Amino acid sequence: MKVDSPVSVISSFNHHLKVVSPRKVLFGGREYYVTKIGLHHTHRIGRTLYHVFSVAANHTFLKLSLNTDNLFWSLEDISDEV
Amino acid sequence: MKFNPAPSLVMHLDLNSCFASIEQQANPNLRGKPVAVAAYVSPRGCILAASVEAKKMGVKTGLRVRDGLALCPQLIVLPSDSDKYRFVHSRLRQLLSFYTPSVVPKSIDEFILDFKGTQYSNLFDLSRIIKTKIKQEVGDWLTVSIGLGPSRFMAKVASNLKKPDGLEEINIHNYEAVYSRLTLPDLHGINTRLTARLNAGEIYTVTDFYNAPIARLRSVFHSIASYYWYLRLRGYEIDDVDFGRKSFGNMYSLPIPLSTPEELSPTLHKLVAKTTYRLRGDGYHARGFYMGLLFNDHSFWHHHYSLPRFLFHENDVYKIFYRLLLRAPSGKKVINLAISCFDLRSDNVVQLDLFNTVKKQLSVSSAMDNINRKYGSFVISSAGMSGTDSLVPDRIGFGNVDHLTDI
Repeated sequence: MKVDSPVSVISSFNHHLKVVSPRKVLFGGREYYVTKIGLHHTHRIGRTLYHVFSVAANHTFLKLSLNTDNLFWSLEDISDEV
Repeated sequence: MKFNPAPSLVMHLDLNSCFASIEQQANPNLRGKPVAVAAYVSPRGCILAASVEAKKMGVKTGLRVRDGLALCPQLIVLPSDSDKYRFVHSRLRQLLSFYTPSVVPKSIDEFILDFKGTQYSNLFDLSRIIKTKIKQEVGDWLTVSIGLGPSRFMAKVASNLKKPDGLEEINIHNYEAVYSRLTLPDLHGINTRLTARLNAGEIYTVTDFYNAPIARLRSVFHSIASYYWYLRLRGYEIDDVDFGRKSFGNMYSLPIPLSTPEELSPTLHKLVAKTTYRLRGDGYHARGFYMGLLFNDHSFWHHHYSLPRFLFHENDVYKIFYRLLLRAPSGKKVINLAISCFDLRSDNVVQLDLFNTVKKQLSVSSAMDNINRKYGSFVISSAGMSGTDSLVPDRIGFGNVDHLTDI
């Protein structure tokens, strides 16, 4: 389901592996704990670089986008396992 | 002439079920399930890629969504996400470039690697390393089929021998056995029509094709293609030719069939804006313009127009295409609109005009392109395009990848 809504995210950075990962997402009064990162990709809209994390929180899929201009997170997509 | 005895130093790498696999990579909950990526998820939408699980149920590229669902009711249909596919393409390209400087992307999901002159002599071991690296660095769900051969064509044919996750070679020692298992349409470049022509020349199998003397091939093809096929089937390289950029174009399947030029005008304008943006971005001007319309009765109309002068400005090009549109059969419902600009010339040479219009147009186009590049596509656009935000979304073509730049 397309959402495109601001969202609260707790992320971590592992300096050994040089990996940034969203860990916990707060959306719609619910907490989602990220269990697996499917794909981390980037794209640009104009000059603004976005980091997109496609993640699973158990049976829920979330697509999170980080705007690197203002470091705001947004939830682009959320769906439950079919 | 015998089969080329050279070692298999050309690798063809094909990402299996590209778009669908990338979606399964992104969403772990989709893995192991039948997934299809479609241009539109509506029943009439065209399936662009099917996952390995969906293929097992008979779902394949080119089917309508409703037909895919009829074959596999549990099929999960997703819209395409071009950014994701471009990103994976770029990552693959970066990874492969580590092993050889000669990496040629043939499409969004296919690469040709030439290892001639490199340290590698046994590409089997290297292929396994590449497969592992792709899983580690790009995505653990992604599989590739790798073909090895003494030429691009042989490597391509080898890559199709086993899918998914194949690793096959065609060389002087096994080509006869491989050819005996293939049918003519299995050869890349031989379609049903050419198969019929070959059959008319008493060539029914790939082995017949290989054994046919060049005089017989000439009587089938009536062109230099006969000699090319003679060499190609013997593993000699004739396909490493870069033909350069010949045209720029865009195509759009209309969600609702439209008939009048007034109705089609905003969509046409957006197609022109996208095409001319890419034309200017790659440093070209064009003086040949082609339009093709597919109608809902499955009839097709196309026309082209050539000018003595070269154009680059969106509005000038739009006027040409609009004139072409006025020549199209009236009253028929259009379901697909395609345009392209050909007869290209580098923008280094510009013929100035008496009233200095060209110079002004160059400045305006350049300023608009810079704004759109900085703030995002169509932040600034012509008034004729108003109301077209949802039309002509970003798509990836199956062939040319010249527009894919490194991220």
